[in-house]
This record gives sequence, C-alpha cells and structure tokens, in this order.
Amino acid sequence: MTTTTAGVAALVLVTIALIGLVVLRPSLVAARGGRILAFLALFCLPLLVTGLGTSAQVEHSKSTRFCLSCHVMEPYGKSLLVDDSSYVPAAHFQNNRVPRDEACFTCHTNYTMFGDYKAKLRGLRHVYVNYIGTIPTQIKLYDPYNNRECLHCHAGARAFEDLELHAEIRADLTANKTSCLECHDTIHNAHGLNGVKLWKEGAP
Amino acid sequence: MTDIAPNLVRRLRLSGLLVSLGLLVEAVTLFWSHPTAFLVYLLLGGLLVAAGVLTFLYAIVTDSSPRPQA
Repeated sequence: MTTTTAGVAALVLVTIALIGLVVLRPSLVAARGGRILAFLALFCLPLLVTGLGTSAQVEHSKSTRFCLSCHVMEPYGKSLLVDDSSYVPAAHFQNNRVPRDEACFTCHTNYTMFGDYKAKLRGLRHVYVNYIGTIPTQIKLYDPYNNRECLHCHAGARAFEDLELHAEIRADLTANKTSCLECHDTIHNAHGLNGVKLWKEGAP
Repeated sequence: MTDIAPNLVRRLRLSGLLVSLGLLVEAVTLFWSHPTAFLVYLLLGGLLVAAGVLTFLYAIVTDSSPRPQA
C-alpha cells in the first residue's frame, strides 16, 4: 500500500465521519458553522478525495503488477524472467535498466490511459474484450515500436554513443526511419517461451 | 435554534448517502490493482460522488429555511 493510498483511505474515513455528523444532526446546519461543516463534508472533501484518488489510480496503473493482472499479459510477465540476455525486455528487467515495479510503463509510455484519446479508448476496449469479447491468441502493438522509448535512456549513454554502427545510423534512429528492433530483434517472444530457462529471482 | 426545512434535511441525507457510498467504492478500488478497478473507481465511485455533490448543491440552492445565525 502506497502512502498516497493510505492517505486517501484515511481522508475517506474522516469525510464519512463528518458526513455522518451532518446527516445524523441536521439541526447543525441551522447555524453558519454547521453550514460550513456541511459544505466541507459534502462538497470540498469529496472532490479533494476523488482528485487524490484519481492521481493514486493513475500511479497504480504504471505498476508492473497492474499490467500483468490481466491473464493475457501473463506470458509477457514471464518473458521478463527469461535467463537469456538476448531477450531485450528480460535483460532490461533483470539488470535494473528499468525500474522493476514499473517495467512495462517505462518502455510503453504511450499505452492506453497514458496515450492520446485513441489509446484511452483502446484501453476501455481491452477491458471489454477481457471480460466479454474474444481475446486474440496473439496480441500486437497498434503502432510500430517508437525508438523514442529506447533513446529516452540510451541517447547520450557512452555504451550507445561509442558504438560505430550506432553513430552511422544515429540520424535515422532519431527520426525513427530505422527501428532499434531491426537489430535488437529478440523481444518478448511471449508465445515461444515453453521450455526456456527462467531466472527466478525478482519475479514481477 | 432556527428550524430547518424538511426538504433540506431529506436532501442532505440523500447527498450524504450518495457521497459516502461513492467514497467507499473509491477507497475499496484503491486496494485492487486491476484495470477494472480504475473503471469502477471512475464510473461508479466518481458518479456516486458527483451525484451526491450535485444533490447537496441543489439542496442549498433551493433551501427555504430561515437565514442561518452567525
């Protein structure tokens, strides 16, 4: 439980207690102080709690646990534990190149609620498909993977910049004309993980 | 003590019930890490709170009780 979640939960209890006071003793609102109390309990605090709660929910949705909570995402979580450094997501996850508790969001920053309105609508559709629709056997990104997600960290890093091959195609990488995944092409491979050796420590 | 209109009392109770239910829904979903929790938070919790707040605003706008004492 995060500090924000605990804070919001505590604020909910305080607000409900104040609401109880106003509702059980309505004669309080006959006085100016009582009206201010009612305004606080039934207007200011509920809006404050809802705002803070929305912020906490958005933070939750960045967590690896949140992303992997849908059954269809389980193989992608498993792919983070493959004991083979040629798997790009696994190498990043296991070596702390991305924060483990926000592993998915770090490399997929424009997904569902963090993307544009189309991405948000897709997120709603995913929930619908998860419960009512037909989940596809293989899920795919809607758009080609954007180099921006890689360069966000790698641009300027010595290991990246010193490599001659990177220097030759640097402009194309920045312009997204050449995908990083053309060379670094072992990604999740989520449907080919049967029998692969897994690293057990640090499971998401 | 100044009397308050029965309509105001009734609407305050309704508002309190809606807001409390909404806040409880919101609090519960904060402990559930799943995309559905976010939807329940917004579509159920958020709507209940909004309905309660609007009921409260309607209650004070249409209140016919005597002016409150300082």
